[in-house]
Amino acid sequence: MSRVLRLHVPLGLYLLFTLVPFYWMLVFALRPTGSTALVPWPITFEHFDTVWNGIGFGTFFYNSMVIALGVLVFVSILSLMGGYALARFKFRGQRLFLVALLCTQFIPGAMMLIPLFVIFREAGLLNSLTGLIVADVAFQLPLALILMSGFVRNIPVELEEAAMVDGCTRLRAFFAVMLPQLKPALVAVGSFAFIGAWNNFLFALMFASRQDKFTLPVGLSYALGEFNTDFGALAAGGVVAAVPVVLVFAVVQRFLVQGLSAGAVKG
Amino acid sequence: MRALLVVLALVLSACSSGGGDGKTTIVFWDNNGGPGRTPIYEELIKRFETANPDIDVEYVGIPSSSVQQKYDTAIAGGSTPDVGGVTTSYLAHLVGQEALAPLDERIDGSALKGKLLPSLVETVRQTAPDGKLYSVPSSGNLDVIWYRTDWFTQAGITPPKTWDELVAAAEKLTDPSANRYGYTIRGGAGSVFQLLTEAYSYSGVTEFFSGGKSTVGDPRNAELVGKVAALYRKATPEADVNNSYTQMVAQFTGGSVAMMHHNLGSWGDVTKALGDRVAALPLPVGPSGKRTVVPNPTDGFAVFKNSENQDAAWKFVEFLTSKESNSYWNEKVGQIPANTDVRDAGWIASNQPVKMALGVLEDPATVTVPAPVYLPQYSSITKTDSEPQYQKVLLGDLAPQAFLDEMATKLTAAQKEWEERK
Amino acid sequence: MRTKRWAPYALIAPTLVLMAVFLVYPIASVVHYSLQRYNVTQPWKNGFIGLENFRFMLTEDPLFWQSLAFSAKWVVVEVGLQLLLGLVLALIVNETFIGRGVARAMVFSPWAVSGVLTTGIWILLYNPSTGIFQELARWGIGDPGTSVLGDPATVFPATVVTELWRGVPFFAILLLADLQSIPNDLYEAAAVDGAGRWRRFISVTLPHLKDAIILSTLLRAVWEFNNVDLIYTLTGGGPANQTTTLPLYVARKAVDSHDFGYGSALTVAGFVILLFFSILYLRLSKFGSRA
Repeated sequence: MSRVLRLHVPLGLYLLFTLVPFYWMLVFALRPTGSTALVPWPITFEHFDTVWNGIGFGTFFYNSMVIALGVLVFVSILSLMGGYALARFKFRGQRLFLVALLCTQFIPGAMMLIPLFVIFREAGLLNSLTGLIVADVAFQLPLALILMSGFVRNIPVELEEAAMVDGCTRLRAFFAVMLPQLKPALVAVGSFAFIGAWNNFLFALMFASRQDKFTLPVGLSYALGEFNTDFGALAAGGVVAAVPVVLVFAVVQRFLVQGLSAGAVKG
Repeated sequence: MRALLVVLALVLSACSSGGGDGKTTIVFWDNNGGPGRTPIYEELIKRFETANPDIDVEYVGIPSSSVQQKYDTAIAGGSTPDVGGVTTSYLAHLVGQEALAPLDERIDGSALKGKLLPSLVETVRQTAPDGKLYSVPSSGNLDVIWYRTDWFTQAGITPPKTWDELVAAAEKLTDPSANRYGYTIRGGAGSVFQLLTEAYSYSGVTEFFSGGKSTVGDPRNAELVGKVAALYRKATPEADVNNSYTQMVAQFTGGSVAMMHHNLGSWGDVTKALGDRVAALPLPVGPSGKRTVVPNPTDGFAVFKNSENQDAAWKFVEFLTSKESNSYWNEKVGQIPANTDVRDAGWIASNQPVKMALGVLEDPATVTVPAPVYLPQYSSITKTDSEPQYQKVLLGDLAPQAFLDEMATKLTAAQKEWEERK
Repeated sequence: MRTKRWAPYALIAPTLVLMAVFLVYPIASVVHYSLQRYNVTQPWKNGFIGLENFRFMLTEDPLFWQSLAFSAKWVVVEVGLQLLLGLVLALIVNETFIGRGVARAMVFSPWAVSGVLTTGIWILLYNPSTGIFQELARWGIGDPGTSVLGDPATVFPATVVTELWRGVPFFAILLLADLQSIPNDLYEAAAVDGAGRWRRFISVTLPHLKDAIILSTLLRAVWEFNNVDLIYTLTGGGPANQTTTLPLYVARKAVDSHDFGYGSALTVAGFVILLFFSILYLRLSKFGSRA
């Protein structure tokens, strides 16, 4: 009984809070314009047709995926390196570096658009997915690195030392001992980076001026314009944008659990 | 590591793009990209490319909410398109940044000479301090009241001709228990622009400045603001105080509102949802009976000064505003064609809102009162400063007269500065 | 431990390069513009004006103080509630029960939804004619036409709830990942000592999560402080500026009014405030020191 109160009731309530908005989106996506039915039946796919074939969500989807994967890979590697350095070494300028990382988050992206635009133009990064990956990595990395340093710090340094006593180099010890421990951390940080890039609107709109380089959030904002308000299209586009990330999430969150059992703590 | 390589390969393959087949490519930015309008441009571009096989047009749809930011960033960063869709509400800013090429000579040497509605050309011309034409108008627009014909018939009310009739009808059609309201107020983004057109349609004041002083604070304008504000919550949804276009139109198309003030531009949105249960009325008149119209921003196409292919860019603009294209475009979006040759096109007679709007604009008794969109501070005064103040009026925290006086003082000062610079 | 002196620098080098190229110059340019009159609509007036923007901001602009106060309220309420709910949620889905994987995937999913889409969904949900309150009214709960975004009394909580929807999973994921790294023997030892569920939470779980909590609240606070899109789209800062945060005010000035100079000055002010509070927070919380 106490388990029901402690576990099932709050979980159920929270699930309701989470899922009702999603359901609302689904209903708008599947019922014809003007209908107010709460259960969308018969189902229509006209809105999906509009966004996929009419607005070009196929291309946007591909672009968002490439960018998000690129950002995921680079942010994971770089944050692992930097996070490890912050957590395991004492070096001059460490505090300054930490504060500098934080400072990068203090200014809204909108205020940096013009200088960034000039840098991008000079570097030949306008209108390219590479450019958007670089920009997103630069803006996601500080957050990821700080988080990762916290995770590294939480893993007992003795584990590593033991491996190094066994004759491992620091690098080997890292791959053999630390990496398995950091799996949940990588999942958390990696998903944040992926999602941050997947959802970036401003950079994608400002640093790309070609229809075939736009991303899903740009596509979504089309459906909210003056003269172009189309809730069905917005909702259908939303489903297209949300479903893959939710699915990816569902798959990788399993690894959040694995760190403990795979590690050396028990054995 | 392999994942990294795969991603790199993906990225690199996505970057290589062709070109170099001797064709000229021009870039066109649509200032209002979206499901409603993108397909229409795609069709027009296809036609243009067929007629001009040596020119490629690259379409870029910009979401309307971000278009000014996009233009500002592109201008500051030195990377503008060849052709861009613009409206007179921000044309002055683009001209001020010296981003556009004047088009007077090109028009004089083309088939468009004498074919553009003079009133629209005038609206565009007055946004530039040098009086030159920096965009070719494509569509005229008019503020209208969209109303539910079925509800009016049911209730046995005739559509209102005066503001007092509108107020009465709004109150009569309101039934909060059924979630039905007579009217909806745009209280959020874009509110004051609409409010001013309402105020002048009521007051019959025929000039925005009289002897250098803004007429916004005219007591008759304040009277109208008071009448509209009194409708808030009495005959409108409570949400209206924060309504931007999106929410406002959602209430109307969602079937909870009988009348909505917007302009011809929402024709697509409202007819898609409501079909023939909706029609357009001109803004009502005030006690004077005079019809005074503050013109809505005029849509058009501009050629950017930094374009390396200005001739090809102009060809495209000329094509977009030609009789055939202009007719096709305006029929699809339901606006007033700028090209006078389209006046007799068959579709106009059967499009009630456009026909009605043309009737209003061509009526010799109609006086137009152009808003001073040429003032560099105009949007900062009427939007950034005044929109929150208008919300105070709706919430009953500020008197209409005080609200308008504040705006008038700022406009007068801005106008004075403008005169001195000229 | 054998330590090469250059090793940490080599590890952070790529990050430093990225920051130098993509962040230092843009931030410097914001500082530069904050000392200028810079408005693209009146280029003839542009030029260096020293600290005039700051003087005006501090002495003649009530909206600066008003938006700052609202920003503080917004950050405290959002981060506090997100942390609390996120922690509870992490503890719940850390338990073992049937369907845990599915439940986790579902409660975490809003985090994956973009800002544009979150506001889009909630506009649909809050809409007085097609939204949830209209539906509830049909079942006799509440009044038809209830508009939570239009009523000055409810606009703040309604916006808070929307941001919670997306923000709580951030904490939940992070804290869950950290919960996973608590060695079981610590709990077992505590249980042997006769500690109950609550005691174990206080003496084992919380100390372990300390650094993660400090970092995530700090990052989230900075992020919520600068969060513009959601409030902008949902309320536009209204009614009557009641929900205008400092960055939203910046956006209205710099983007809508093209007053880039003054917008930059406001941004610099926000920067200084965040820097001050971040350092203070890190000092007071003794981040990185193990108990």
